[in-house]
Amino acid sequence: MVQEFEGRTEKEAIDVAAAQLGLERDGFDVEILESLSGGIFKKGKVRIRVHTRDETPAPRKKLAVEDVVPADEFETRIIEFTKHIISGMGYSSEVTILFREEKKLGIRIESEHASIIIGKKGKNLDALQLLVNVYAGRMGHEDTRIILDSENYRIRREEAIVRLAYDTAEQVRRTRQSVLLEPMNPFERRIVHTTLNDIVDIETKSEGEGLYKQVRVTFRGKI
Amino acid sequence: MERDLVEYIAKSLVDDPAAVNVAVVEGDKSTILELRVAEEDIGKVIGKHGRIAKAIRTILSASSTAASKRIILEILD
Repeated sequence: MVQEFEGRTEKEAIDVAAAQLGLERDGFDVEILESLSGGIFKKGKVRIRVHTRDETPAPRKKLAVEDVVPADEFETRIIEFTKHIISGMGYSSEVTILFREEKKLGIRIESEHASIIIGKKGKNLDALQLLVNVYAGRMGHEDTRIILDSENYRIRREEAIVRLAYDTAEQVRRTRQSVLLEPMNPFERRIVHTTLNDIVDIETKSEGEGLYKQVRVTFRGKI
Repeated sequence: MERDLVEYIAKSLVDDPAAVNVAVVEGDKSTILELRVAEEDIGKVIGKHGRIAKAIRTILSASSTAASKRIILEILD
């Protein structure tokens, strides 16, 4: 959600926002829209726009213990396949159902080797997820998307990208220099685009070829 | 071990699992795995733009033995 607030100083505007929204300072992101510093006889005025993170879907309900086990042949085979590959890599794991949604199946991997199973920037988890999705497609479930997660990596990565997007927008606005972000997969790029979509003076565009393109964040100036 | 892993993945993705064969060429610093599948199944282990082959290679590079020895996957036709 996006709302605007005013104060005599930046700090005051932020305090007003925090009080009205009932949030801690780190619960929202602030964009300075207008900043007039006050003089001896003149009151300063700062207008800010506040982005709260209610766009992220409500946290998924935790499944009851009896529901994390596979409920049908398809789920059983997906779990088997995932577990088998991980054990083939030389790691032990517990694989269960994380969530069931329309055309989406979440799989949770628990392992003492979670960090290597996830890999740098989720590289290994993404590779495993791709294979699992191809396998699901071969079983006639092309329309079901399988999402693998371990140690809440997906949600943590999403939050990190939203933060990176806002920080980059701030930097671009300050320096008036565009910034090219590190290569990201389509899902991660979409998070950057949608996060910065509402910010009028900032523009985002993907550059490069293939699956891992880079997002460039540029300053568009005052409207 | 990686041989079995590649065989398992390949057999799970192809139409003709019986035709899947993985040969191992051991070197000092690396192990080469040569994967052969039925001609009609080649695309199923390579994928569009090599996505599946790349994913299998990534999985191999994350395996516990990859820390000490490089594992190279070759898909032969």
